[in-house]
Amino acid sequence: MLWFLRGLRRGIVTTRYPAAVDDWARTLPSPPAFRSALLTDELADRLQDACPSGALRHEGRELSVDLGACTCCGRCGEVCAAAVVDSGEVLLAARRRDDLIKRVPIGGAPDAPGSTRAGRSA
Amino acid sequence: MIGDHQLDATAAELRTQALSLFGRSLHIRTVDTGSCAVCESEIRLLAAPHYDLHRLGFFFTPAPRHADLLLISGPAVRAFDDALREVVEATPDPKATIAVGACALGGVYDEDEFVHGAIDRIVPVDVYVPGCPPSPLALLQGLLVAVGRLQTRVEQLTLDLDRRSA
Repeated sequence: MLWFLRGLRRGIVTTRYPAAVDDWARTLPSPPAFRSALLTDELADRLQDACPSGALRHEGRELSVDLGACTCCGRCGEVCAAAVVDSGEVLLAARRRDDLIKRVPIGGAPDAPGSTRAGRSA
Repeated sequence: MIGDHQLDATAAELRTQALSLFGRSLHIRTVDTGSCAVCESEIRLLAAPHYDLHRLGFFFTPAPRHADLLLISGPAVRAFDDALREVVEATPDPKATIAVGACALGGVYDEDEFVHGAIDRIVPVDVYVPGCPPSPLALLQGLLVAVGRLQTRVEQLTLDLDRRSA
């Protein structure tokens, strides 16, 4: 009887997902997000060297981020805490492997917002 | 080349529709191809009260013959090649495969004489779930995406915070 009451007091512990994403999901380890305006070529090189799983690659004027390879270790955040922060995004399932490869422009987006990122990589 | 892509897309669409026929009862078999067992630990937590995947109609089964979906983790060690192919063959169609974790997606080990380095180099993969290990929440999303009950959202994700706020 006492255990029963104790269980009732505890309330519902089961996640509401998929009806809603619980608040604590944002505290799970997540891949990095970047302040592209603060990124430089030199910093991108250091981020690439710091990444143990090769998820971060400095490609031309872009930083390529492979979410599939990222182990959320946080070492890129230690390189530059101002430019690299947690994305807080863990629901990253993909049907195509290529969907997991993201590109961040180095030095921010120089041209007008709304232009495609693919056009700038040339 | 474009024709192939269209064919692949149609095939994937058909597979999803076939899987959605499973409705709210689907059996899962886990396959470990040399992972460090943390992915398995997270998969096991799916059955705990906090995630409770049974409320969504997912169940674990020990036999591939009884399974509709394979959760494959690990970097695909070559020593496990035959066993993995047999498991995939033994699973009756229509079936889905989910690659679980950074190893299975090719993030941790390069291809060498011991490992293939990624699951999709040997068996077709329907859904990729990143993470090291993926949270049970992420696995739940992967499962629901595989049976067509949720859409993926990673395509819309941008990692550029300056663009996100703009």
